[in-house]
Amino acid sequence: MSTITLTLKESPSVPLETEVITPDTVADLSRSEIAALTVYHGKRVCRLDDFFDIDGEKSEHIEIHGDLHRVRMIGKGMSRGSLSITGNVGMHLGAQMSGGTITVNGNASDWIGAEMTGGLIRIHGNGGGQIGAAYRGSLAGMRNGTILVDGTAGLEVGMRMKRGTIVIGKTVRDFAGLQMKGGTIVMLSGAEIRTGAWMNRGTIISCQPTQVMPTFAYSGAYNPTFVNVYAKHLTQYGIDLPYKVSAGTYSRYAGDMGVSGKGELLVWNPV
Amino acid sequence: MQKSKHLPAGRKDRTMVLVDIRETKSVKASDVFLQVRPGKDFELITLLRAMLREQKVTDDQIAETGLTREQCVDFLDRAKAAKFGVFFFGMGLSMTRGKHMNSAALLTLAAELNAFTKFVAMPMRGHGNVTGADVIMRWQTGYPFGITFNRGYPRYNPGEFSTVDVLVRGDTDCAFIIGADPGATMPQPAIDHMAKVPTIVLDPHVTHTSKLAKVHITTAPAGIAAPGTAYRMDEIPLPLKPAIDSPYPSDEEVVRRINEAVAQKADWLGTRPQSIQHQPIS
Repeated sequence: MSTITLTLKESPSVPLETEVITPDTVADLSRSEIAALTVYHGKRVCRLDDFFDIDGEKSEHIEIHGDLHRVRMIGKGMSRGSLSITGNVGMHLGAQMSGGTITVNGNASDWIGAEMTGGLIRIHGNGGGQIGAAYRGSLAGMRNGTILVDGTAGLEVGMRMKRGTIVIGKTVRDFAGLQMKGGTIVMLSGAEIRTGAWMNRGTIISCQPTQVMPTFAYSGAYNPTFVNVYAKHLTQYGIDLPYKVSAGTYSRYAGDMGVSGKGELLVWNPV
Repeated sequence: MQKSKHLPAGRKDRTMVLVDIRETKSVKASDVFLQVRPGKDFELITLLRAMLREQKVTDDQIAETGLTREQCVDFLDRAKAAKFGVFFFGMGLSMTRGKHMNSAALLTLAAELNAFTKFVAMPMRGHGNVTGADVIMRWQTGYPFGITFNRGYPRYNPGEFSTVDVLVRGDTDCAFIIGADPGATMPQPAIDHMAKVPTIVLDPHVTHTSKLAKVHITTAPAGIAAPGTAYRMDEIPLPLKPAIDSPYPSDEEVVRRINEAVAQKADWLGTRPQSIQHQPIS
């Protein structure tokens, strides 16, 4: 399996917008064509090889190395192949992607997988805010796909998401599942405040006790069957979602009553 | 207070509800005072939206926000019965935890109250022509703030392109500050970044920002020695006539001369320039 390897020469002084770094763009390009791809350094129009050392050609598999925290829009709109990133990465990673896999060994910034429609994003470090969210003024966030973050996450995770799965390993900040329309958010270490604010539909699962908004109503403790299915599905990613009756139950809160109130927040209570 | 055809008794026909976390001097001027628990604004407004939709909420849930059921019901009855209601909100709402979502909550409540009566929400602006900046950006670009032009067309994403976030992350290599003093109000990382990069300040006075700037250009104070238009809080444009002469140029003249000097320079956009022409301001 051939791979295209990009190594950042030095961290750009202002944000670098590189939506051309996707398997779809480079799959059929030679090394010199890849080097000539257009990137935007601030307002300046530059070539990809002004910032990256490029190795390999004509492949759907890309590896990127370096401190990419100012490099934005990597993998935007990708539909196939794989992207493997070693180092911290900037905003809009995998935004609007429809397929393929992105793996990050490092931290990622805001808007990971914003408005994505398919594919898998796995962040081994911390994520930023607005993961799988809708852009400002847009009605729906991610419509399908999976985002897995091993570390913490920022504000407004899954804002207005419609379908798909987000799993956050460590603490999530405020407004997780804001205005959610569907899909599932799993928070393995709980969240700060205002979880599920204004959610219309969808499921938020918290494996730790978490603060519940006053517009959520307690509606009993049980072990929903669909969590078994989710738990088994997530085992393949090494994620352990509790579901066994012998281990505990989920408290269900219905909300947000400020809107239609058909969403649910499930909080795990171990025995 | 103004008497009118529909409100013949003036102030007596109007109701003022004050919402704050503590009793301030404005309590005396208000008819109803609601003391909300600090950091519970978003929860309170969302709860009021739920009560407006006639959802069941418990007394415990209401008590979490610092108010009682009677206070909430009374407030909603008054709001629904009003002929024309206005929410005025300031930095206590928009700059505390939750920030833009607190404002969004109040705007949504105002929108939903329009099912019953006319209701609007209006931000209480700070000093200077803040509304003017928003209004002009809005009709020029379609967005009020947090805009980038780096692709040749406006793109809007607050949090990514808004001033404080750009400066805190250190995303700029130059800063041009006109008629503002971010050096006095912004968080420390933003101030440190402004001190690090070439910062240019246009201001009639020496400010905190000009002390950390590389260049300070003294300009004539707008509205006193320079003409122009300021927008009132309710977006009414007010023409300003200068009362005195100033030896200094106006902000507009300085920006125009910088623009003319930049237009003289060789194209710096790279091999594939975008179709942006420097337009002389006549």
